[in-house]
Amino acid sequence: MRADPFEFPIPNREKSFGGNRKLYNRIPQGSHNTAQTLKMRPSIRSAALLRPPCRRAVAAVSQTPSTAFRLQPSPIQPSVSRNHSTSSVNATEISHFSALASSWWDPHGPSRPLHLMNPLRHDFIRTCLSSSVASPPYQNLNYLDVGCGGGIFAESAARLPTTASVTAIDPSPEILTIARAHAKRDPSLASKLSYVNASIETLPPRTVDVVTCFEVIEHVDYPSQFLDKLGEFVRPGGWLVMSTIARTWTSWFTTNLVAEDILGMVPKGTHDWNKYIHEHELAEYFRKDGKWGAPQKMGVVFVPGCGWKEVRGSEKIGNYFFGVQRVA
Amino acid sequence: MEAVLRNRAAFVCRSCTRRFQQQLKRNYSSAAPRPDIYDVVCVGGGPAGLSLLTALRANPLTAHLRIALVEAQDLSKIKSWQLPPDKYSNRCSSLTPASALYLEKMGAWRHLNQDRVQPYQEMQVWDGVTGARVEFDWAGTEPAGGTTIAYMTENLNLTSGLLKRLDELGGVSTFDNARVEKISYGEETEEVDLREWPVVHLSSGNQLAARLLVGADGANSPVRSFAGIEARGWDYDRHGVVATVELEGEGWGGDHTKIAYQRFLPTGTIALLPMPGHYSTLVWSTTPKNASLLKSLSAKDFTAMVNAAFRLGTTDLEYMHTQTSGQDEEYSWRMEHTPVDYRAVPQTITGVQEGTVASFPLKLRHADTYTAERVALVGDAAHTIHPLAGQGLNQGQGDIQSLAKTIEYAVTHGQDIGVGMSLESYNAERYAANHVMLGVCDKLHKLYSYGSGPLVPLRSLGLNAFNALGPLKKFVMNQAAGNGIKVF
Repeated sequence: MRADPFEFPIPNREKSFGGNRKLYNRIPQGSHNTAQTLKMRPSIRSAALLRPPCRRAVAAVSQTPSTAFRLQPSPIQPSVSRNHSTSSVNATEISHFSALASSWWDPHGPSRPLHLMNPLRHDFIRTCLSSSVASPPYQNLNYLDVGCGGGIFAESAARLPTTASVTAIDPSPEILTIARAHAKRDPSLASKLSYVNASIETLPPRTVDVVTCFEVIEHVDYPSQFLDKLGEFVRPGGWLVMSTIARTWTSWFTTNLVAEDILGMVPKGTHDWNKYIHEHELAEYFRKDGKWGAPQKMGVVFVPGCGWKEVRGSEKIGNYFFGVQRVA
Repeated sequence: MEAVLRNRAAFVCRSCTRRFQQQLKRNYSSAAPRPDIYDVVCVGGGPAGLSLLTALRANPLTAHLRIALVEAQDLSKIKSWQLPPDKYSNRCSSLTPASALYLEKMGAWRHLNQDRVQPYQEMQVWDGVTGARVEFDWAGTEPAGGTTIAYMTENLNLTSGLLKRLDELGGVSTFDNARVEKISYGEETEEVDLREWPVVHLSSGNQLAARLLVGADGANSPVRSFAGIEARGWDYDRHGVVATVELEGEGWGGDHTKIAYQRFLPTGTIALLPMPGHYSTLVWSTTPKNASLLKSLSAKDFTAMVNAAFRLGTTDLEYMHTQTSGQDEEYSWRMEHTPVDYRAVPQTITGVQEGTVASFPLKLRHADTYTAERVALVGDAAHTIHPLAGQGLNQGQGDIQSLAKTIEYAVTHGQDIGVGMSLESYNAERYAANHVMLGVCDKLHKLYSYGSGPLVPLRSLGLNAFNALGPLKKFVMNQAAGNGIKVF
């Protein structure tokens, strides 16, 4: 791969992963730990529905909403300063998603729902771009994909004729090995797609047309800082596009109880219901600083045997896409 | 590598590959020749393959794909194909209005020689044993989509038109007069990993690596064998005898209402499909023994046999098939004693065009699946059908429409068009539809192969009842014409 401006050694990553694991675990709301603020799981693309290879990864999952709700009214509240943070990644989650690496591109494997969801991401991005207010970006787009995993979205974005470049970052080296090996299978990708083993805070500043972050934010401990950081990479006029899951009884039932505990479609520990975020919480976050336009939303529902279908209004219930244009 | 390829379009473009190869040549000058990289390599330049490539080239969303066509025959000869107006090729197909519309959409229809395309508006179908009959006529009502049930066209007129359109669109690397020596998988180098890419090796030495390898290479598809896809089915122990014949006139409906005729005989169906003017094309499915007899007859006796097959009883026909010659006299004598409603059968055939009597074995084949990793099968490579409903070519056109749509969706959503996941919808959409059609034609063939027994009165009852049920008949006609609600 060509040398990328983003490609550089990430200090202390090995050390921090091997270090005090407790440090990386979820910090209760309000505890102002300055060293560990933004904790993004490494390859969160598997978030929606995945098979169980890695149960040891996360201990506290599938809490019933009743307790969780009391403890965590909204995960998005800005509560922690983010000085000195060097990495947003969580060691236990590295292992969780790294274990999935080899099956990432198996179309009938645990990532199948993600493969099926991928075209809808492009539909949604197209909806966002076409609703742009000023200087709409349509051609020669530069993408930054955060939490790229095996590269399902990153590869597809790089294949589009309207794309100039895709920089895809993920903190798991194992998964990036898979991603790079897979990208080699398509000679058209090399010129446009570069993978960087990094987290969002370690990435040198720059702005792009579209920052994407699919199935990631529900794995982040302090989403507001994470979103602050993501926003810095969006050029004025550009878009921040993400997807996540609403924190409702329905989503607890489908993603935690049914998908993980009963059917085992998804590895246990993939979802932490407490970290799910409502679209109105995201909307509230982006409203406050005046830098962002009115959000675009699209709720999707997984219909077994049919794949993902857009269902109007379902963004309030389960999986949804959310996009905002940076206006200032 | 990246430096050379930087800033190129998403899919592999021509200069990309060229530079890539130059680069490889520099780096690995001693290594074996590297394959040329294409997005789509289509093996087979028949109606299905050419339609697919034309559809892809004509669609602005897929026009940037790098495409190669491999064909054993000389395509320039097919492109410049022409015959005098009193000669028609014996290999004709019926195109439904839906197929014709799709050809029009891709800009190919107007490249067909329209003087040689014949629409027909009515059909007469009857049971040779009992005389039970369905008259597919519009009975004065004209549906919004038009009254055309199908268009008869010579296969060569279609392929020639497609080639002209493809020529106009340009951008396809054509390898004709080419023999596929083998198909293998690519190799992994430092820059690319083509171990899952099929590489077509031509006898000329060219190697074509395919993101998507399309098998449009007929019933004995080498691409299908390469993909390890089994095609199952059976032989009918019947041959299709084809010929171009001349009638005493333009048909009972004149030039504006052309009628197709089909009679179910216990040995197989005989169909006479209108071509322009006084001409018609014959498709007679019969036993291999009868077929070889028919081919051995003089033009006069052959003509008599065809006339007899639409008029005489099965016992008369059986006898005439035992004669090695003299059918003409036999037919004249027997007709003196056979009352015939002459408007219910085709006009008398007066001659057969020299050199057009030919036959081919009939079979049913259906591939287990139409797709594999980086492979898609279309047309006869995927399915071979009994010709009694004239659906073979239309099934292929249906495949093309679906595959082109699947490719367009993949391209616009950044999917690799060759991976199985991108091709899933093509297989899902076409397999079931084709399976129903294969089954229906197969059952029809079997139902009418009985000369006597309990099924004979039942099928006649069914056919007569169907004929009496106006709305149902209209529905079926609209289906055939592609006007109605889409069922298949």
